[in-house]
Amino acid sequence: MDLIWDGMVQAAKLLLSLDPEVLRICSLTLRVSGLATLISVLVGVPLGLFLALTSFRGRGVIVGAVNTGMGLPPVVVGLWVSILLWRYGPLGFLGIMYTPAAMVIAQSVIALPLVTGFTMAGIQQLNPKLRLQLMGLGASRMQVLGVLLWEARLSVLAAVIAGFGGVISEVGASNMVGGNILGQTRVLTTATMMEVSKGNFGLATALGLILLAISYTITQVLTIIQQRGSRRD
Amino acid sequence: MSPARTALHTDVDEEIIRGEGLTVRKGRRVILDVTEIRIRRGESLAIIGPNGAGKSTLIHLLAFLLRPTTGVVYFRGTAPRTHRDRLAARRKMAIVFQEPLLVDATVYQNVALGLRFRGLAREEIDTRVRHWMEVFGITGLRNERAHTLSGGEAKRASLARAFALEPDVLFLDEPFSALDVRTRQVLLNELAHVIHTTGTTTVLVTHDYTEIMPLARRTLAMVAGRIVRDGDSEGVIKEFDNQVAPFDNVDQALLRPCGW
Amino acid sequence: MKGSTIVGGNRRRSGWHLDRRGRRALPGVSSGPRRAAAPRSGWALLALCLTAAIVALSLCGAGATPTNRNVILATTTSTQDSGLLDVLIPIFEKETGYLVKTIAVGTGQALAMAERGEADVVLCHAPSAELEVVRKGAVINRQLVMHNDFIIVGPSDDPAHIKGIKNAAEAFKRIAEAKVAFISRGDESGTHKKEKEIWKKAGITPGGKWYQECGLGMGQTLSIASEKRGYTLTDRGTYLALKKNLDLTILVEGEASLLNIYHVMQVNPEKFGKVNADGAKAFVEFMISPRTQAIIGEFGVDKFGAPLFFPDAGKDEAALGK
Repeated sequence: MDLIWDGMVQAAKLLLSLDPEVLRICSLTLRVSGLATLISVLVGVPLGLFLALTSFRGRGVIVGAVNTGMGLPPVVVGLWVSILLWRYGPLGFLGIMYTPAAMVIAQSVIALPLVTGFTMAGIQQLNPKLRLQLMGLGASRMQVLGVLLWEARLSVLAAVIAGFGGVISEVGASNMVGGNILGQTRVLTTATMMEVSKGNFGLATALGLILLAISYTITQVLTIIQQRGSRRD
Repeated sequence: MSPARTALHTDVDEEIIRGEGLTVRKGRRVILDVTEIRIRRGESLAIIGPNGAGKSTLIHLLAFLLRPTTGVVYFRGTAPRTHRDRLAARRKMAIVFQEPLLVDATVYQNVALGLRFRGLAREEIDTRVRHWMEVFGITGLRNERAHTLSGGEAKRASLARAFALEPDVLFLDEPFSALDVRTRQVLLNELAHVIHTTGTTTVLVTHDYTEIMPLARRTLAMVAGRIVRDGDSEGVIKEFDNQVAPFDNVDQALLRPCGW
Repeated sequence: MKGSTIVGGNRRRSGWHLDRRGRRALPGVSSGPRRAAAPRSGWALLALCLTAAIVALSLCGAGATPTNRNVILATTTSTQDSGLLDVLIPIFEKETGYLVKTIAVGTGQALAMAERGEADVVLCHAPSAELEVVRKGAVINRQLVMHNDFIIVGPSDDPAHIKGIKNAAEAFKRIAEAKVAFISRGDESGTHKKEKEIWKKAGITPGGKWYQECGLGMGQTLSIASEKRGYTLTDRGTYLALKKNLDLTILVEGEASLLNIYHVMQVNPEKFGKVNADGAKAFVEFMISPRTQAIIGEFGVDKFGAPLFFPDAGKDEAALGK
């Protein structure tokens, strides 16, 4: 218990003193996870719509992969992305291994199945006749998709929350592809893990608490937006 | 046997929709097989028949919401080829579904939806939405959320939503099903009045031919995906005078005279 | 019911089927002949997915820094955990303008990265494994940097009675006989390799409930040993750095075979063309320069009262610990 108390005191000190290193780590954490969430939404929402609205040979295989991917271990993603991005890997020419960009890619891969799966489930829960009725009202394809997304907006926001929550709390992939380099790729989770490994449990607890606070704040904002859009009778 | 041909005189200038050689198959099952159907401008037409006769499928084809396995639908003499052409044709039409689905928004927004899809100016949308909400007596519900409406109110909203489009062709797919007798009667009267005053081409699908007389002069009867009767509403109804709604055993009555 | 208003309201309008709007070109709707019966919004979506993916990738690419300034240093977690690199690397970066990416991993992974050309320079402390990589030609310019030593630590009441023994293998034998908890790194790190070497010398294949492989870094392994009141083999640096949080004391130290010898080496640029050879060479030279060596010798004195590392550049490896 004293460790948790120490951690809270230390977290408060770090934040109140505006420790530049901690601020830099927090800012990188937010930028990397935010961008990864954005990318996974840009790709995952259309993909979720596609999988929910079409039927084609092999769709079941893809849906199965998406559902499995929702529980993808970050370490496994980290390894795959490393293999791709290493100098002598297929994407080595990009030269982005051990940069925030590599972490964004890995985190996007982790968040993508979550966003896709939640979007798909949300669209599939809508009345299947809605699409035909919207076409009957003269909606173009994009207009149909727009209304379907509006109708499934609670699920889509749940998808964003799940994706963001998944990546900001993830450590295995970020550590592997980012390298936890001081001032370059150190984020809250990898810093916490390193401090634990050094035995600095107080500092580690403090970093963990800061991560929780950030994660809670963002999720809370998204949840408020989501609940505002919910049905009130 | 071959389905009955339309008995009506057709004038190419006046013809608004024509379907030729329409079939719809799902797997091996033939759901629809209509050699020809012609609808003239300003005409009001009823399609009757039992459950599963293919009535809804036929109007979905004519409204370009579904594409036939074989056959062509012409709108004003041309068959839309591209998605864009079909969308343009669809935007000249309106359809009221059997179970209208409103989106999670206010009644006003729901009535305005089809107009917004067409990209009309805000003032034009507002004028039309106000007018048709008044016509169907839902002006007071303007700011209510759609999911709080009763069945009758939702039906009115969906009718206003379709009429606000001021279409060339109006398809009504069992618009009065699942309504109580009083609401049904009131809405039927309103609808008949609006259709007759505007002279809109109307295609009414129904299960229940007590609805036909106030709305439609011509009636098609369908059984098992085919048109088995086509003619003056009075005549078609007279032919099945013994049959009273609900239309449960209609198959036998319709089949026997055709030697099926 | 509001029937009367309904009928009354309609008379204002007539002829509403006239084509007033005309046809509009529809933005965002792709055209072209299509054959299938179902609405094909799916393909537009798929195109959207691909575009988004490409945008995403290009966004990532934009964040990349030029590689030639970067030097990837593969090193062991124990080196990073000691804090020595936090002192040395900023000096090197300032002097040379290179940007060091310190990847702290187990010795096994650090050397594997070197063997695959995925690092530029390696700093680690597993001499026999390093020599193997040198023999394969994957690394060159291997230089002795410094040493610290391994020590055997355990609870102060020392249930296996090993305190004061000079011979590590003998101490391990007693721990095995007493079946007291022994926490092994179990991660193929330099420390773990050293530990296995000692077990081999003692003629024991460790196993059973008392022998626990945790698969974690040195700091965490020490914490576990402290929690479980067990023994473990550790490097002195990590132990000193973490001592205040641990309930462990030094029981065996000083034997030559317990020395933890650090070498720096650069990955062979002739074998791996993508390696930053200049940066790696500069780092090797920096590590063995007299000034750096002096800093190494001072490191930790202010905090722990004793140095954590002993600078050894230019010495004969075989003479160490004698």
